[in-house]
Amino acid sequence: MVLGIETSCDDTACAVLDGTGNVLASVVSSQLKVHRPYGGVVPEIASREHLRNWLPVEGEALRVAGVELRDIELVAATRGPGLIGALLVGLSLGKSIAYGLGVPFYAVHHLEGHLYSPYLGAAGEPATIPPESFVGLVVSGGHTSVYRVEGGRISTAAETRDDAMGEVFDKVGKRLGLPYPQGPVVDRLAEAGDADAHPFSVAKFSDGSVDFSYSGLKSQALLAIEALERRGVHSPGGNVDAGDFPPELADLLAGFRAAAVGQILDRLERLLESGPFEHLAVSGGVAANRLLRRRLAEWSAERGLDLALSSLVYSGDNAAMIAHAALRRHRLGLEDDPLEAEAASRLAI
Amino acid sequence: MRRWSTRGAEETRALGEELARELTPDGILLLSGDLGVGKTVLVQGVARGLGIDPRAVQSPSYTLIARYESGSPPLVHIDLYRLEPEETYALGLEEELAGPGVKVVEWAERIPMPVPSALHLSIRRTDRSDEREILEAGPSSISDEED
Repeated sequence: MVLGIETSCDDTACAVLDGTGNVLASVVSSQLKVHRPYGGVVPEIASREHLRNWLPVEGEALRVAGVELRDIELVAATRGPGLIGALLVGLSLGKSIAYGLGVPFYAVHHLEGHLYSPYLGAAGEPATIPPESFVGLVVSGGHTSVYRVEGGRISTAAETRDDAMGEVFDKVGKRLGLPYPQGPVVDRLAEAGDADAHPFSVAKFSDGSVDFSYSGLKSQALLAIEALERRGVHSPGGNVDAGDFPPELADLLAGFRAAAVGQILDRLERLLESGPFEHLAVSGGVAANRLLRRRLAEWSAERGLDLALSSLVYSGDNAAMIAHAALRRHRLGLEDDPLEAEAASRLAI
Repeated sequence: MRRWSTRGAEETRALGEELARELTPDGILLLSGDLGVGKTVLVQGVARGLGIDPRAVQSPSYTLIARYESGSPPLVHIDLYRLEPEETYALGLEEELAGPGVKVVEWAERIPMPVPSALHLSIRRTDRSDEREILEAGPSSISDEED
């Protein structure tokens, strides 16, 4: 039994996996609605909040898994990157539990957790053994990066030089008065639009870099929204149905989404040309984006690549991926981290 | 009160680099301005002025605080986009601003207390799509806005 802990930013998360990587429980504090002091979107940024959340979240995870703390044989916690105060809570809890139980402890890089998460099984199934080498795309509100993983060694192949893809979806959605989290709502409304009716260009660097850039697309979309508003086209805001959303705005969002997803495919294509790979693993909150999932499936099939998309349950931040990354290391006989492992707000992978 | 005008992201970065030189090693730069106006671009320039690779400077809207220890002095990049003013206490903003390094805060209008020693700039668009006007605000302007 593996206990995973993740407190790198907004959510307090705890998961229990068995020795095969089967997720017995994965609990995230926002699901439990432990507290929402100001209503609306409240990032649980303070270490105090994580501390307050911990016991209910851990209790729920153990209850759902049907195990007791003394059954735990391995403990893992996120060591970074993230907010230092928040990280310290999870890391200290993890070390203390491991020390108290006399079991090994692993301090896991948050992105290592995401990278391997597509190989987590569906509920009730063991995890798949990840391929020896693969390319991992992590795309979320805070990250947009591609890594090459070879025999457990992880190197950065591309990353955003400004905004993350999920971030610009949320910001454009907020400008339209859509409810949090705006990204999935933008994705849903874009489904009804015609991307060709309002095209946006795919950002490229003049130096030929495969890095990502989303801040230009964000500015273009915001200007286009302003231009539509001057012509009297306004977003009704709120949890609007596609049927009540102005078609011009749906076209704009469809074009915006197509350019954002197009950039991902452009970078993957160029990375495939510069260094062939056979396996692609996609994770992070934006892995839930419908157009991205469809385009990735087509693109991989055309090229004969094996695509592993993280299941929707594990695409956002969660502790199952942290426990899973630790279990992978443990199975390979890699040494566990000493209890001295320190939290780090910025951490190279 | 000073004002600048820049055309294109690179000119905004160059201004940030110039401003980095006038900030003290524990100085504070507050930035205000609409979504997509170029606040992070200006911070990339400040980073370059402190000897940090500007390509490594990403928007911390989600991660809230990013530290660049390689700078001399180090850079602390804070983004309050997701927070309400009262939540900045939970972030430990007061401690961050009193801590070492150059601190740059995006969405500074959400800081609920006056920051007397800070340089405060607001960035806005002009009629030309690639042009930005950058205005230095008075030291008390932030607390005025909150009133």
